[in-house]
Amino acid sequence: MINLQDIRDTARDMLAKGEVRAVIGYRRGSRGMLAEPAFITDPAQADELVWDPTCFHNLSLYLVEDRKFLAHLRKTANAPIAIVAKGCDARSIVVLMQEHYFKREDVYIIGVSCEGSGVVDERKLAPRLNGIQATNAAFDGDDFVFTTAEGEKRIPACEVMADRCLECRNPFPKEHNLAFGEDKTGRKLAEPFAALTRFEAQGAGQRWDSWSRHFDRCIRCFACRSVCPMCYCDECVVDSITFPVTAETTADEKANRIKWIERSATRSENITYLMTRAMHLAGRCTDCGECERACPVNVPIRMLNNKMEREAREKFGFEPGASIGGPSLVATFLDTDPGDFIR
Amino acid sequence: MSEQQPYEPRIVAFLCKWCSSAGSDLAGVSRIQYPANATPITIPCTGAVSPMYILSAFNKGADGVLVSGCHIGDCHYIEGNYLARRKMHLTMELLKFIGVEQNRFRMSWVSAAEGAKFAQVVTDFVNDLRPLGPQDKLKKAVRT
Repeated sequence: MINLQDIRDTARDMLAKGEVRAVIGYRRGSRGMLAEPAFITDPAQADELVWDPTCFHNLSLYLVEDRKFLAHLRKTANAPIAIVAKGCDARSIVVLMQEHYFKREDVYIIGVSCEGSGVVDERKLAPRLNGIQATNAAFDGDDFVFTTAEGEKRIPACEVMADRCLECRNPFPKEHNLAFGEDKTGRKLAEPFAALTRFEAQGAGQRWDSWSRHFDRCIRCFACRSVCPMCYCDECVVDSITFPVTAETTADEKANRIKWIERSATRSENITYLMTRAMHLAGRCTDCGECERACPVNVPIRMLNNKMEREAREKFGFEPGASIGGPSLVATFLDTDPGDFIR
Repeated sequence: MSEQQPYEPRIVAFLCKWCSSAGSDLAGVSRIQYPANATPITIPCTGAVSPMYILSAFNKGADGVLVSGCHIGDCHYIEGNYLARRKMHLTMELLKFIGVEQNRFRMSWVSAAEGAKFAQVVTDFVNDLRPLGPQDKLKKAVRT
């Protein structure tokens, strides 16, 4: 069990001593029970920090934003930034450091272990509360306790936990400066890749039937891209409006830029977008599941990433976010890589 | 008019400049007969083939995509084809996963001396593609 006061005290001390310039954590949001990302620079605000089952955001996204912001200002950081990171978030940070996006000393990782539990899935929770809004959520052993207008409701964590957390084996942030909570690496609440295995057991025709429906539904809001800490490219291949435009860029040039993918939300373009995204995340995605949570039309994006992750693990023995100095998936190879599909 | 023509699969073939491209040349100068369904695109190395090329080819209406390069150990850039092997494996698995027929994507190693093999690879590919019919899953819908 993590003592919230420990997190707050650490944040306050570090800010007061000037060891870090900010603490990225979670605080109570304005919508019901949900936590929201908090950016704390004043030691007095440290008591706003919370840690509960609604802390699902992958905060490493804001390290990327911070880095971009500093680059834009042409400034260098004078102190590291502290971040509250769960197991999956810490792996994302490792991948970012692996890709030299920032250095280890630029970030102070306050690790929080999810221990035997994880974050709540709102879509699973809604029917359990009969549509009543909860105002607070808390960890309690193997249960989640929700406070609603009709009193407290205790639900076993496994029943309303996000799928990614059920399948997670590494709830403890391996890379950390300071860690709270018990190290329960190797726990097994559910079989990893369970949904993927079930889906793959179907024939190609059935798989296409369901995927074509999912692809039809995508509205190309790019929420999955915005919420992903790995999607940090300034120019995105799927979206020509992110290409830099300078004073010298002619209208002709803007009109005739290579468009790999059209911006219209049609099936063929959505497929190309989502597949390209899955390819770009192969070996980098740490399965924080934020893309799927952020998706307004419930496209099972996580399944595509899971597929790549499992393929990398089983065929190439590759584990994303394992170590800072480790190899990247598509820039390395082994002599034993499968090649029997090649004629 | 076009409806009356029999279906001919269209293949986009990404051929490595150092081997398969020369291999296809050899097939030609050796007067080996093979189907003319493949549109060759010469690339500097199979390692330079981005998965985007393949998705894009399907998106623009290819019925099949062939990636062909040097045999393992023969890469002009030492390790390009090793990297390609990994990338193409992932791409193929992803295509299969969403339900695209396995035979729509193919990879082969064809050296500059293997004109006959190149002809064989294309012939086999066309024969495998013919029963599948036109590829309309990833193809961009053209508004009329």
